[in-house]
Amino acid sequence: MLYAPSVRVLAPVLLLILALLAAMSLDSPLPPADLVIIERSDCYTLDPQRMSYQHELRRARVLYETLVNLRAADCAVVPGVAERWEASEDRKTHVFHLRADAKWSNGDPVTSRDFAYSWRRAILPDTAADYSALFFAIRGAREFHERRAAKLKEFARAPGDPDALWRETEADFARTVAIETPDDRTLVVHLNTPLAYFLDLCAFPCFAPVHAASVEPFVSIERATGRLIQRHDWTKPGRIVTNGAYVPTVWRYKRDMRLEANPHYWNRAEVLARTVECRTIENPNTGVLSFQSGGADWLTDLGPEYKTEMLAERKAYLARFRGEIEAGLARGAIEDDIVGGLPPPGPGERRDVRGFNAFGTDFFSFNCRPELPGGKANPFHDARVRRAFALAVDKQQLVERVTRLGERVAGTLVPPDSIPGYPRVEGLGLDVARARAELKAAGYEDRDGDGVIEDARGERFPTVDILYSTASPRYQNLALAMRDMWKRELRVAAECRGKDSKLYKEDLKKGNFMIARGGWYGDYGDPTTWLDLQRRGNGNNDRGYESDEFERRMDEAEAETDPARRLARLAEVERWLFTEEAPLIPICNYVTVYMYDPSRLGGIAEHPRLEQDISGLGRRDGAPAPAPAPESMR
Amino acid sequence: MSAPRSSVAGLIAGRLVQLPFIVLAVYTLTFILAWSVPGNPLENPEGRRPPAEIVEAMKKQYKLDDPVAFYFDYLGKASGAAWLLGRHDRPFDLGPSLKQPDWNVNEILATGLPVSMTLGLSAMLIAVAIGITAGTVGGLRPGSALDACTQVLAIAGISLPSFVIGSALLMLFAVKLGLFPVGGWGGVRSVALPAFTLSLPFAAYISRLVRFGMIEEMSADHIRTARAKGLPRWKVAFKHALKNAFLPVLSYLGPATAVALTGSFVVEKVFAVPGIGQNFVDGVLGKDITLVMGVVLVYSTMMVMFNLAVDVLYRFVDPRIA
Repeated sequence: MLYAPSVRVLAPVLLLILALLAAMSLDSPLPPADLVIIERSDCYTLDPQRMSYQHELRRARVLYETLVNLRAADCAVVPGVAERWEASEDRKTHVFHLRADAKWSNGDPVTSRDFAYSWRRAILPDTAADYSALFFAIRGAREFHERRAAKLKEFARAPGDPDALWRETEADFARTVAIETPDDRTLVVHLNTPLAYFLDLCAFPCFAPVHAASVEPFVSIERATGRLIQRHDWTKPGRIVTNGAYVPTVWRYKRDMRLEANPHYWNRAEVLARTVECRTIENPNTGVLSFQSGGADWLTDLGPEYKTEMLAERKAYLARFRGEIEAGLARGAIEDDIVGGLPPPGPGERRDVRGFNAFGTDFFSFNCRPELPGGKANPFHDARVRRAFALAVDKQQLVERVTRLGERVAGTLVPPDSIPGYPRVEGLGLDVARARAELKAAGYEDRDGDGVIEDARGERFPTVDILYSTASPRYQNLALAMRDMWKRELRVAAECRGKDSKLYKEDLKKGNFMIARGGWYGDYGDPTTWLDLQRRGNGNNDRGYESDEFERRMDEAEAETDPARRLARLAEVERWLFTEEAPLIPICNYVTVYMYDPSRLGGIAEHPRLEQDISGLGRRDGAPAPAPAPESMR
Repeated sequence: MSAPRSSVAGLIAGRLVQLPFIVLAVYTLTFILAWSVPGNPLENPEGRRPPAEIVEAMKKQYKLDDPVAFYFDYLGKASGAAWLLGRHDRPFDLGPSLKQPDWNVNEILATGLPVSMTLGLSAMLIAVAIGITAGTVGGLRPGSALDACTQVLAIAGISLPSFVIGSALLMLFAVKLGLFPVGGWGGVRSVALPAFTLSLPFAAYISRLVRFGMIEEMSADHIRTARAKGLPRWKVAFKHALKNAFLPVLSYLGPATAVALTGSFVVEKVFAVPGIGQNFVDGVLGKDITLVMGVVLVYSTMMVMFNLAVDVLYRFVDPRIA
């Protein structure tokens, strides 16, 4: 009895231990993977038709194989599920021949009907795919989409038989949308126009196939609205069937995803890491610490607070070996391979961080509308004023003193060397004297000597309202620096106005600004993904820029059927747009900063489109594991 | 403790009858709070937006256009009533997350809850171990240098926020010394630092409870008798004094465990622990109503069960209560 009370004291502790063991048994750690990647956010979805974020698309590229692939090194179009393809004389009809050994991860063959099924999903308004408009290049797709949307609207007003509506829609699609499947291994697509970049589009993950048999059980028709409701449970490990390099075997929400090499993938010999762990670490500090303590091979998004300092340390390291690196590059070697073979960095140096020019451009938009909200005349409606403001910006100083990531200054929108065959285009550079002359030509000069410019009637140039989003200090710093440049060089009054993302977007859409922060990442490998932003009625034409001349030039360039001549003409439009019209001021190309040690990891793509192929990444110490035969996983 | 004088079985039965009413009250309150927050969960200012008619259709699908319908529909599915009545295909369905439509709340809880529980329960164990040791050491020799040390540490543990301690520990033990991994979850080594960080305020409080109890107990008559019989001081302390000094700790353990399980958000963030706290905060910020309601429902049920467990234990440890 003497010890009994002590045992009773221990009882709650024992209970805690038991509960702890129970909790731990519910959550098992995974065995180490061949490759560990840290991402800032988890995938929103694994449904390729509904994807839109860069890290999702990157994941999709190794889960689902499209008809053609983009080679990571140069973004050239190479065979994917289609082993060959041909286009008709007028380039409006494309025929894809699917390879016989293209298989789903459950062993089923990948057929042309899988593509037709998936593309129909993307085109249907029911799916709410972000990129459904990309499919409107296909003849009949836009009309089908609009018809279906109208039918659904009508059904919501006056419900009828939802099953009949769906049967009608299916028949409508088969009849009107020009996607044909003459046999399992042939896919024929007819386009509205001889779209030069259609093959590039076909490599976009939203054009990837899904395995109809595993998706269909989760599709139902909502009786009240007639809409197709897609439950997304088929994307979960255990159920998901993919046709790419990997299959997800574990996916824990906002925690990790484990990819295992797909034993049925036709090109499995080229898949380097047999297992990949994609870990989500939202806190940028923890992500960096985790990488530094050896927890990962590749950190895809370095937090902004580290970038500047770390890139400077890399610069110091590279400076020490400049001779070796230049000699290596002259031999045609890849920078990572050279740097990875050099002696390890000393104090104050590092090589495990690298910035890449991305397929994105940072810019500030002019409000090009004739009037500002409230009915006041907008001085930026005049291209001379826009050119003056663009000419007065010292971009070199902005990237060296403000953004400080070693960005490449941009004169136009399309990043140089990002699109094969598209020439470099020069825009407006720094020229303060010409900027003042442009303003004078527009009627603005300092007439009374008070240090501020006035128009002919003696009215001061209105205070320039510069709008930026407060999501990142980068834009505030840029806005302030540019305000000072304009004040100093052009003698105008200017004020910066920071708004949080949502309110900023609202002001931008309403045209409630004179100059506003902007930015764009290209969606596909063609200059139109950039130039279309200035098109009349484009949803992302925040500038309200409208020009018949521009529309005419674009239409003419697009009508050119010879791909090389077409690109040359588009380049000429871009040159004209940015030297004459200046609807926006390109500042620099975005830089994406990765953390990885080139002496440990090989295969990081340098091409500006940053279409990293995860299956081409491998640790340098470990030779690639031999690809197992398909039977071994079953 | 104000438990009614009845049998343990009666206590359990009574609490289980109360349970649905408590959870219903919490549900209703959370519902009112969640719906009164302005904003639309289907809106995403940073991303691309679906067309207006799709958003309308989704609102209908999730019953976001009709709060009353949502209230009863969600309650029916979450409680299992809809399933019992044959109106739904599965019980306890907490619905799809509005912000992450590929996931339903049950799946999110199934991955996050074991992690948060492992973290919270490990933290409580560490807290009890540290707290009792420090409290006993201090309580046996009040006023000594050792006592002063434990007191200072206790104040530090209570007053220093966990993101400061957590970050410091992370830098020292994980980054500089490389003893523990950073980020990632699984295995004792990855639990150690976050659990220790989370345990500190609780350890500090427990040590003060034990210290006071010890000081009081050591001057009690039965302890003096035991000492007079020649038993060594530490033996008396651990075998006789501690069992009484521990009682206040036990009543603190119930609510403290609940707090450790639910309030680990900051620690989860600092150490990138994939628990439920991060999801819950994201849910609140993004007005992910189903996620918030689901987490609150599960947590309130757990809270009631914990308090019940502590009350039952209390009777077991101190039979005078019954």
